[in-house]
Amino acid sequence: MLIGDFGTSYCKFLDLENPSAAPDIIPTAAVPDNTRVAMATGHNGKRFSDHYVNELIALARGGQQLIREKNFVLLDCGSRDIKFISYQNNRLKDMGWNAECGASMGFTIELLERYYNLDYCRLPVPDRPFSVTCGVLGMSSIFDAVVSGVAVEEAVARFVKGIAVNAFRFAGAPEVLFLSGGLCDNPLFVQSFPCRVIPLGRFVLLSGLAEEAKGQGFFM
Amino acid sequence: MQTTSIIISRRTENWQALSSKFNKVGIVGLPPLAVIRFLNDRQIEIHDLDALLVTEDMDNASAYLPKVYCAILRTVVLNAISLRLDAIFIDVGPGKCDSAFHVAEILADTLPIPVIRTENLDNQGFGYPICLSNMALTQKFLDIVEGVKSADPRPAILPTCEPTAGYWGVPPRDFSILSLFPDSTHIYGWTRCMENKTPGAGDLEYHYNPDVPTVFFAQSFCAKTALARHLARLHPQALYLDVDVTAGSSAKAKIQAFLSLTEKRSC
Repeated sequence: MLIGDFGTSYCKFLDLENPSAAPDIIPTAAVPDNTRVAMATGHNGKRFSDHYVNELIALARGGQQLIREKNFVLLDCGSRDIKFISYQNNRLKDMGWNAECGASMGFTIELLERYYNLDYCRLPVPDRPFSVTCGVLGMSSIFDAVVSGVAVEEAVARFVKGIAVNAFRFAGAPEVLFLSGGLCDNPLFVQSFPCRVIPLGRFVLLSGLAEEAKGQGFFM
Repeated sequence: MQTTSIIISRRTENWQALSSKFNKVGIVGLPPLAVIRFLNDRQIEIHDLDALLVTEDMDNASAYLPKVYCAILRTVVLNAISLRLDAIFIDVGPGKCDSAFHVAEILADTLPIPVIRTENLDNQGFGYPICLSNMALTQKFLDIVEGVKSADPRPAILPTCEPTAGYWGVPPRDFSILSLFPDSTHIYGWTRCMENKTPGAGDLEYHYNPDVPTVFFAQSFCAKTALARHLARLHPQALYLDVDVTAGSSAKAKIQAFLSLTEKRSC
């Protein structure tokens, strides 16, 4: 039984009948239109399944599955949006989904890496961030800084830190933040948060979807 | 004791004398009961201009109001310029908002009809059985909104249900979000004040039930966003939500996820 997290940039698949197998990751652009899964989540998920689970529910279920704490804040940073879930004493305390002003943020970080031929594993965390409210508006800060003599690497790093700080505030400025999404693999982004960050990787929604599938009797 | 003051705008001192020519009037917010009764007694047709009454493009209101403005008041202006009304009664007191005060002036300057500003200080509660009832939330709102056109209390007695969710706030411009809630949702905030016919009753508006997961809703760019956010912070299980003209997929997904993740079983 195949389930899928259909993100804006990447799709992640898991076969629940083969639990030892690692999830597959495929660029969204390469996923065939006739793909069908038993259950789906993610931005594009409704197109590929008759059983769709809302991304916030998948995130919450994934967090409950992967985090063994009563109190936690889990933030998912995607290509086009950010969303968080906050639990206190095992009860939902707060949640948020910014699909407008957070638009294109993960996508923009990846785009900048390719455009400027950078390696985020090698960029140091800058002392201060740009004040950016979203990816598109933050781009002009990069160009202005480069024109004024700041190195491209430094300007992009400030931009990335600015996005991390925004995401941190959006999630309620917790002392410890569990992080979900592809940006967990970006050390500059992870280290730019002004708090302790515990990266959980890019399969948290997929884990939550698997929990939902079990809960709804799709898979025993 | 019932206290009602009616503010007469500068061009409509003699609106009661003019009322013999009124066949169809618009209301904004909840004008005082005395005004509604006056209109009911004369069988004057009432249109609630806060509601979606016309299909004209919302941008038609942009000549009179900024695009970044409360969608309810933009709808009021759109209705007012599209419908052929004989007069408009617009509440601008503590039961509505400061923005309505300015919109009243704009309408008075724009339309060739009397625009009567009222200040509703009614404090005789009619009760709020619809807010506490067990039926589709959309129907509850339709009934409450329809009720503002009548000075009479609702005749039917509705059984109260145990709440499993709460909706706090004003009636949304986009009713589509209401279908996401269970029938056992209780209504709080200004909508409860509407049904009670006491739109300026602050204590009733501030009330919420901390034992019920509640969505605190406000229209974007409305002053009530501050109150909605504040009360959501105080509530142990709350979702603050503001929506502009129409609710996008992320707003609906937030409601759906919140209700699912805080689900309480009905008794």
